[in-house]
Amino acid sequence: MSELTVAQRAAGAEIAIDRAPYFPRRKKMITGRSIAVLVFLSICALFFAVPLYVVVVTSFKTMAQIREGAIFAPPSMWTLEAWDYAWNQACSGINCNGLKVGFWNSVAILFPSLVLSIALSMVTGYALALWNVRWAGPFLFLLFICAFVPFQIIMFPLISMTSTLKVYGSIWGVALVHSVLSMPVLTLIFRNYYKDVPQEILSAAIMDSGSFWRIFFEIIVPMSGNILIVILILQITSVWNDYLIGVTFGGFNAQPMTVNLANLITISTGTVAYNQNMAAALLTAIPPLVIYFLVGKLFVQGITAGAIKG
Amino acid sequence: MSRKLLTGLAAGLMLGTASTGAMATDLVIYHSWSAPPEVAALNVLRAGLEEKGHSWTDIAIPHDTGSNVNLMSLVTGGQPPNVFMESNPGVYRDLAGMGLGLPLTQWFEENNVVENLPTSVAAAISVDGEIVKVPTALHIDGMVYYNMEVAEAAGVDPTAWTSFEDMFADFETIRAAGYDPVAVGSQPFQVGYLMHALTAAVAGPDVYSAIYGSEVDPAALDDPAFRQTLETLRLFANEAGPAAQNRPWNETTNEVISGRALMQVHGDWMKGEWLAADKVPGTDFGCMQIPGGKAVVVTVDAWGLLGGVPEDVQQAELDFASVVVDPEVQGAFAAEKGSTPVRLDAPADSLDACSQEVLEILGDPAHQVQNPHNTADADWQDSIWDVVFNFWSDPNMTVDDAIAQMKENYDTILG
Repeated sequence: MSELTVAQRAAGAEIAIDRAPYFPRRKKMITGRSIAVLVFLSICALFFAVPLYVVVVTSFKTMAQIREGAIFAPPSMWTLEAWDYAWNQACSGINCNGLKVGFWNSVAILFPSLVLSIALSMVTGYALALWNVRWAGPFLFLLFICAFVPFQIIMFPLISMTSTLKVYGSIWGVALVHSVLSMPVLTLIFRNYYKDVPQEILSAAIMDSGSFWRIFFEIIVPMSGNILIVILILQITSVWNDYLIGVTFGGFNAQPMTVNLANLITISTGTVAYNQNMAAALLTAIPPLVIYFLVGKLFVQGITAGAIKG
Repeated sequence: MSRKLLTGLAAGLMLGTASTGAMATDLVIYHSWSAPPEVAALNVLRAGLEEKGHSWTDIAIPHDTGSNVNLMSLVTGGQPPNVFMESNPGVYRDLAGMGLGLPLTQWFEENNVVENLPTSVAAAISVDGEIVKVPTALHIDGMVYYNMEVAEAAGVDPTAWTSFEDMFADFETIRAAGYDPVAVGSQPFQVGYLMHALTAAVAGPDVYSAIYGSEVDPAALDDPAFRQTLETLRLFANEAGPAAQNRPWNETTNEVISGRALMQVHGDWMKGEWLAADKVPGTDFGCMQIPGGKAVVVTVDAWGLLGGVPEDVQQAELDFASVVVDPEVQGAFAAEKGSTPVRLDAPADSLDACSQEVLEILGDPAHQVQNPHNTADADWQDSIWDVVFNFWSDPNMTVDDAIAQMKENYDTILG
């Protein structure tokens, strides 16, 4: 019984073996270099953790304690008042129902935006990668260029267009603009991923009389798990954190949570309640964080499975 | 007289509403206020509007986040708000160009409002000679707010100062008592505001208008009074310690509230910080204009009304305007917001010590000028901010250097 080659292993060859392969490993030693690396990494971690620490402890303090200065001191009395105020009572304009209003608006914007943008770019990527589309090359190039057009330049034309389509000032308007603006990058990601699907699979599927849509739904979609996770995380983060599109296309009725947050925090001639501001900022940041924690592992798998590295 | 007329108008309208029941209109109100005192003040207006049978749909976009861009995007998208808080004259010119302006000069005259407004307010609500805004709140850009307890402990009386010389002469006494004489924040915004407030106070309205007005006269930069303004600014800059570096205005105010410093010279929105810390104007803290000041700078928050709308909607918008300028409402509004009423005839019992002081000053038409945001070219004003902030930060920069730079900027921007 000879040892397995790396290629065989990778191919998943299963050959009975007597003993587990032995890879000698060097003993870990504390060297000057590893100490330097540790110190450097700790400093990097502190660089991000210290401001976060300040945000978190400030949100649990009372305003009286904040006025004293000493931003690093832990709260002398832990209180959830600021959180309660930010969620239930904070004013966005004359309506003082807290950030929860914007939270549900953001959720309502998120789902149509996700469905629209993913559906649009998934099908486009699939067609460009696996079918002979006329002008596919120039079209891809055009998409590539579009990925670099700043939103602000085309904002007013987009307002006119959504207004003509009668979706300006509604959740659908926001979702439509999100999906159109994210289409170039998402299409490129999908197209690069599907490029790795062996041509033989597609040929076999066509031979079995598969149509464009049947192949898409029965073969391509089931193969897209990894890349969908990546796209979901990218899109959820960008839609949730967006301010400008929501404030511009949301009109009166569909302002996302970020607009409420900005209303709460941006004060030029009033008093600043730092504890409420911090609590509100954390509340707004929590949903994407939760998504990362839940599917973070899958995200790494998805990336290494050939999405963005391509 | 005017009040009777307004009440009569209101009563008539309410009768009309009651009899037909079809006059109720929903107004979309666009503004940038969300702080608790601001919201309380808006609720005063909403109550007045609802009394007239109309309803209020709110849209709030925060300050300084391109909110006037956003106003224009609502207009472009075909959903313009009926009433919008906006000071920038450019927006009104744009709207008029689109047929969406609503000139109000006639309405103001018919309702006898203009004669009860301070002159600077009347000027601020006009664009190209036509009244287009409804004034709602008034602030003074440079007032002296001082901690009365500290004044007593240091043995000085700020009200006795009749000039800057008096004021600066007392600084050693205050320092000897262990207090900072004046709290400042080294930020372009605070220094820029202090500069134009000082220009009005030290150099007077004529030099001020020649520099911050719509027509700039570069000769005013050589005026000895303007040099004196910059020298005074230097005296303030000398008070900026390391702790003042990039300190926001409200934290600077807290230096005074907590008794570490005697006073602050800044916009009178400082009052909000004092009130939030449960201090009483006239008892815990005093407010006065800059000692020996020749004029004060007035900032006016105002509403615009949408034109080109159906008759009944326009009537509802004018109803809103009549609520805003009603003297009683003005008093209640200012008390909630911490501002000063825009009318000289606002009921006296609704005013605190600071607002009384402000309205007394504004009774003199010659003693007031407008905030530069209303008049000055934006690039020119930005360039002044740059120069004075460099001047503030660099002790080696002379008054001559600063004036030379301003002249250079004038040639580039407006010359």
